[in-house]
Amino acid sequence: MQSIISLPVRLQRLNPRRLVSLMGWILCGIAFLLVAIPLLDILYVIIKDGLAAFSVDLFTQVTNGISGGLLNAITGTLVLTAGALIIGTPIGVAAGVYLSEFGHGGFSKIVRFLGDVLTGVPSIVLGYFSYVTMVVTLGWQFSVLAGTITLAMMIVPYIARFTELSLLQVRHELREAGYALGTSEIRVVARIVFPIAWPGVLTGILLSMAISVGETAPLIYTAGWSNYLWNGHLIREPIGYLTYVIWSFINQPFESAHALAFAAAFLVIVAVLLINTGARLLLKRPRNF
Amino acid sequence: MKKYLSKLGSKPIACLCAAAVTLLGVAGPMMGAQAADKVNLLETGSTLLYPLFNLWVPDYTRAHPDVRITTQGTGSGTGIAQAIAGIAQIGASDAYMSDGQMKQSPDILNIPLAISAQTVNYNIPGLNKTHLKLDGPVLAGIYSGHIQYWNDAAIRKLNPGIKLPHQMIIPIHRTDGSGDTFIFSQYLAFSTPSWNNSVGYGTSISWPAVRGGIGAIGNPGMVQASQQNPYSIAYIGVSFHAEIAKAGLGTARLENRAGRFLLPNPRTVGAAAAELVAKTPADERISLIFAPGEESYPIINYEYAIVNQRQANTRVATAVREFLLWAVDHRYGNAPKYLNQVNFIPLPARISELSIKQIKSIH
Amino acid sequence: MKISIFRLVLLCLTSLIPVALLAILIFLTHYSWSAILFNGVHFLLGKTWSLGNLYANPVMVHGLSVPVGANYGILVFIMGTLVSSLIALLLAVPVSLGVAIFLAEGVPPGSRPVLSLIVELLAGVPSVVYGLWGFAVLIPFVAHHLAPDLAHLLGFIPFFAGPVGSGYGLLSSSLVLALMVVPVITATVSEALQGISREAKEAAYALGAMRFEVVWKAMLPMIRTSLIGAIILGLGRALGETMAVLMLSGGALNYLPNNIYSPISTMASFIASQLDSALGDPTGMAVRSLAEIALVLFLIAVIVNVIARLLTGGFGRAVHN
Repeated sequence: MQSIISLPVRLQRLNPRRLVSLMGWILCGIAFLLVAIPLLDILYVIIKDGLAAFSVDLFTQVTNGISGGLLNAITGTLVLTAGALIIGTPIGVAAGVYLSEFGHGGFSKIVRFLGDVLTGVPSIVLGYFSYVTMVVTLGWQFSVLAGTITLAMMIVPYIARFTELSLLQVRHELREAGYALGTSEIRVVARIVFPIAWPGVLTGILLSMAISVGETAPLIYTAGWSNYLWNGHLIREPIGYLTYVIWSFINQPFESAHALAFAAAFLVIVAVLLINTGARLLLKRPRNF
Repeated sequence: MKKYLSKLGSKPIACLCAAAVTLLGVAGPMMGAQAADKVNLLETGSTLLYPLFNLWVPDYTRAHPDVRITTQGTGSGTGIAQAIAGIAQIGASDAYMSDGQMKQSPDILNIPLAISAQTVNYNIPGLNKTHLKLDGPVLAGIYSGHIQYWNDAAIRKLNPGIKLPHQMIIPIHRTDGSGDTFIFSQYLAFSTPSWNNSVGYGTSISWPAVRGGIGAIGNPGMVQASQQNPYSIAYIGVSFHAEIAKAGLGTARLENRAGRFLLPNPRTVGAAAAELVAKTPADERISLIFAPGEESYPIINYEYAIVNQRQANTRVATAVREFLLWAVDHRYGNAPKYLNQVNFIPLPARISELSIKQIKSIH
Repeated sequence: MKISIFRLVLLCLTSLIPVALLAILIFLTHYSWSAILFNGVHFLLGKTWSLGNLYANPVMVHGLSVPVGANYGILVFIMGTLVSSLIALLLAVPVSLGVAIFLAEGVPPGSRPVLSLIVELLAGVPSVVYGLWGFAVLIPFVAHHLAPDLAHLLGFIPFFAGPVGSGYGLLSSSLVLALMVVPVITATVSEALQGISREAKEAAYALGAMRFEVVWKAMLPMIRTSLIGAIILGLGRALGETMAVLMLSGGALNYLPNNIYSPISTMASFIASQLDSALGDPTGMAVRSLAEIALVLFLIAVIVNVIARLLTGGFGRAVHN
């Protein structure tokens, strides 16, 4: 930046090395613009067309495919996300605790590695797996449970790794002090380690929440779609969600359906960006340990 | 698990879980109460029928508040499969079920709800206002790569006096499984033996590799791709008539079995349907493609509801029966008020009778 | 006693991770087994995907019931996946390097968080939103401006020569994939750059190097392994992307791309778009062959990720997305 600010001065005394260096910085700046401009354009387009489609009906009416609101999709996304966190958080946090506190052996190494691999499995593969097993073989059909379990499979490794990393940052002496006083393992984790490490854990959970809100591919063949509000059944009852509206309604021959697609995209992107920003602010907060 | 977490004393996580549980707890009963003694039906399948169901369902459920019907545009294959699996009570399909599928699931009914048609559209700058004449063999030639240019001798022969450009034809096809592909490829197969022997027909066929040919998803993708590519050709469901007009595409006159070149309109589509009314069997599985008759438009089809004759219980069966009877009734679902919006035409009287007979057997 | 219960509960929950991975492998293999037998090696090498005649009576082949003329070859989708991912990487790697250097060394530390937030937000945009943006903005731009200009400028290279097509295809898919991959690579690279010790940098400055030369000639070579790991990680992200590619790829069938504007299909997008058609096959062979694609994609993703993790030496750096 320094070299960019003082550009005019430097131009007067250019030599080949300076020129190459300057070019280098300019290219880096262009690279940054190449990334920033599409993001800003995505936000601009979605916000412009999304806001144009806004109305009170979006939040009070269920959709009937070509008009109405998005209440069923909004609540459906909330239910699926909450369900994924209810299943995924305990497992992820437990795995993270185990790996950080007791994970010295070969088993933990393998789990850590496979957790990394699991995050790399394409989400459509997870969706197809759930379709074959839960939807078809177990006969749950398109259901909240099949959708949430699929999402949970995606987010568990994230929560586990965030939990492990933030717990590992707690100084070892604190734990040893606890154990020296005869405190049980569970109390050391709960009373000493967690109070210090929770922001990192929460960041992992928030990021997982953002992933759940924005996913489409693993839900198409597991959660299905519904025009109505969820009636509380875990299986044999499909449910709506916002990302489906984006993907499906843009292919309809009605302007009103396109408007709903953009409104849904607006809601999804606002939710995802807010959660992401919150999570990162939390992580970057100064820590006192 | 929750007990364990609260023992951990990790307040933020406990709060989050509590919030989630509360959300489920509040949302669940709220929706449950609303849904209490209502019958839930799921309609899924054909994207061509989807807009029509979306016109039907709000009006029907307003008049019948005890029934809730979810509509889904997933594709005809999904519609049939989910009706067989019992996931959906009504599967929507542009294509009737094959003998193989019927043998496996003899309880499934194929019930026509309306008649649809398909147009062949092109984007030739300067000629989009002219209705070019095309026939099955020429279209088969274009889609298999034997006919590459718009001024090919075969096309010129059909359109004497029209100055066709020496430009490469870009054939556009659907890449998702679709009833539109089914009826288009059936037209090619029925009119052109070589296509029937090599490619055949189906909702998703193995398109010959044509240089410059492109695939599109859904009818909107077809319209858009055709609009963006001068000298392209595409087949598009008639519900997208308004989009086709807006995109300024040309519509072809297609050759029927009697050798006449026709545009789709209520008269020519109705004439084609009328030709096959007498031949429609009791189970109503029949192709309407390439019908005989001077005035018959060649690419039309029944739009089917795929329904299991035996429903889960009598309440569901009654609800399905009543809705479908409403849908095929000329005073209600088959009224021009609905069908005109998607350019479908109503069922002929005898076909209505056959459909009603099948619907009444649902129990 | 209490201690062991606590550990046991944790251990059980932890082992769900490897169990899930194993379950995916076992169930996909089990489900697609008859397709694996029927298709053989031809599955990976064949260019033709045909469900066969679903309206004729199925025939028996090697004791398996299949539709007449059924032929499942996925080379087109494998190539579509690999080529689009590789082009995306070719675009994304230099850009990511530039962004990472820009953020790590080129901007005042005060404005770094805001600028890096932009890159991190890019990682958070859901893929279906990328698809919607691609559909509404990128496709028309590529069709009317980028593709004709590229063909005009670079037309002497066969791969860039026309016809420029409709905008749907390899170029648009790769561009969106590149946008999705950039944050993955940038995050890893900037973390690695920030991890370089002061002493190492100061040694380079002491030799009289300018700021950019320090970054380019001294710092980048130090993080070479991390960079390669990050690139492969980005490859893993691109290989499995579904919704955005589905909405932009043009869905090629039965032919390989002959230029950068050609329509393509990827394995992931093909699975998502073809289940509907496959369900129309009464013998079930089509659905099982799709499961076999999922299995192949799973194995490719696992291999790519294993290599990436081995190179980056862990997961912590890439966890940001």
